[in-house]
Amino acid sequence: MSKTMTGAQMVIDILVKQGVTDVFGYPGGAIMPIYDALYGAPLKHYLTRHEQGAGFAAVGYARSTGKLGVCFATSGPGATNLVTSLADAMMDSVPLLAITGQVPTAAIGSDAFQEVDVLGMSLSCTKHSFMVERVEDLAEVLQQAMHLATSGRPGPVLVDIPKDIQQGQVPYTPWLADAQECDSTSMQELKAANTLLKNAKRPIAYVGGGVQSADAQDELMAFLARTQMPAVSTLKALGSVLPEYEYELGMLGMHGTKAANLAVQECDLLVCIGARFDDRVTGNLAKFAAKAQVLHLDIDAAEVGKRKPAAASLIADLKMSLPQLEGSLTTEEWREHVSQMKRDYAWRYDYPGEKVFAPYLLNKLSRDMPKQTVVCCDVGQHQMWVAQHMKFDHPSNHLSSGGAGTMGFGLPAAIGAQIARPQDTVITVSGDGSIMMNIQELATIRRNNLPVKIVILDNQRLGMVRQWQELFFAGRYSETNLSDNPDFVQLAAVFGIPGQTITHASEVDEAIDNLVSSEGPYILHACIDDKENVWPLVPPGAANDEMITENTQ
Amino acid sequence: MKHQLTVAVKNQSVAVERFLRVARHRGFRLMQLQLEGQDELFHVKMTVDSDKPIYLLTSQLNKLVDVHSVDLHTLQQQAI
Repeated sequence: MSKTMTGAQMVIDILVKQGVTDVFGYPGGAIMPIYDALYGAPLKHYLTRHEQGAGFAAVGYARSTGKLGVCFATSGPGATNLVTSLADAMMDSVPLLAITGQVPTAAIGSDAFQEVDVLGMSLSCTKHSFMVERVEDLAEVLQQAMHLATSGRPGPVLVDIPKDIQQGQVPYTPWLADAQECDSTSMQELKAANTLLKNAKRPIAYVGGGVQSADAQDELMAFLARTQMPAVSTLKALGSVLPEYEYELGMLGMHGTKAANLAVQECDLLVCIGARFDDRVTGNLAKFAAKAQVLHLDIDAAEVGKRKPAAASLIADLKMSLPQLEGSLTTEEWREHVSQMKRDYAWRYDYPGEKVFAPYLLNKLSRDMPKQTVVCCDVGQHQMWVAQHMKFDHPSNHLSSGGAGTMGFGLPAAIGAQIARPQDTVITVSGDGSIMMNIQELATIRRNNLPVKIVILDNQRLGMVRQWQELFFAGRYSETNLSDNPDFVQLAAVFGIPGQTITHASEVDEAIDNLVSSEGPYILHACIDDKENVWPLVPPGAANDEMITENTQ
Repeated sequence: MKHQLTVAVKNQSVAVERFLRVARHRGFRLMQLQLEGQDELFHVKMTVDSDKPIYLLTSQLNKLVDVHSVDLHTLQQQAI
């Protein structure tokens, strides 16, 4: 058999054989052979209107399903536009494969048209990256790239393919499926871990994004069921601990619930389950859970002891390590204390003003939206309100840019999620600042007739920065006034998306009905008070029990 | 504190770039570097200086796909 194919055809062939059905991207000169091979291929390509939109759509696709997200971009500016989404995927451990076209091998290093050293650029924002130097290497590189992106601690992997490699002929060899790697991680510290659990009087489960990566929600809930241990969640973990769990305390950290933060400060054992002691979680690290020993469960050994020393650690897939923990029943005294705090510091939605109260609106949306709705958000005040006031029963239903905190994430991520889960409702909650960062993707919604719902909480400000200026910069509101934004409903209408604007609290319930019951895409533009802040807030440098609230400021 | 490491990496310049970037970014100043090619690997002897414990570097280097091994010949080895 002497059948041959081009490198570009091989790229598409391998993706298809690996089970990839959808890719996001934007064509250009150096990736034209791959786009040519894509023409008519059994692989659906979604054209976005900016490469960053393609990257985030792939991230949304991956995070809402647990599958690999794939995106394409051309060389130079195409690849540089992808970088923010790679960095975002790196910070949030999202399995992402980025394939970029590169100028022909002979032109590399000559400052050719649309040439950027993409391999060099990728070093700081990918789990790994490749530049293919010979067409014969292409199959192995792609196979390795997909494996790396999805295995261990997931992350973004970039494959840069020069145009001549895409055009080169390569003998067709049947492509071998990946051998499953078995987890050979030593569990030698299991005994120490179980001793810590046995001796703990006031344990807390500190749950992170690793639970979703390991697909270990069942194992987590089983662990919590047998220990009745109170649980707090990072932003990325929200939904991992089921909302009906009695000792679920919500998010911890800078804008965490008072109960979560106080409980962590008082605990004597912090069971860190796939989390990484991010600075937004810990506040002043020296004062974070200062009375606690740490039991750290993670697949990434480099996370153990990175920010806080661990008394014991299990470096393993959470699906394997969680069932081996022999936690005994948490004392009633501690459970009762935590429950009391949960009751005492419960959110209140009886806002006295006539204006739209964002926490009420989001809580109402959370109660009224169909089960299995995916909520994406952008970054800022609205993002924290979503985390505080909406309930999720799986982390794949709450897509929020955590580690990177990337404005402009929400709309393209929602597009990716809607494509991945066509049967489910997808809502993106954004702010008047963030939505403008990838507003061009309204065209992608229209192009694909996607029923994505959009909620814009509009305070005509870059709200979170404005809040900090008010609290920490003496009210010097430098460049945070966005009152010259366009009329968002009119803007959406141009893209064929209907919607409405509301300004009063009395309009919220009906508007949520309209949004949730709309068949196609819909935009709800909610004008909110520009002075509304996110509470509680742990000020920079403070310990998590030194949070300021609306009443204490 | 100064630490001496031998890192065996895939013999590609990008592999060296990648681990040097990690060392810089994680807060380890490069003091000395010696690189020798052998078979499919580069053996890189390096001395780094940092106030941080060395395991914060070795644990990151061990994660890199192109890094085959990291040997620490520290003057004073620190435990986790």
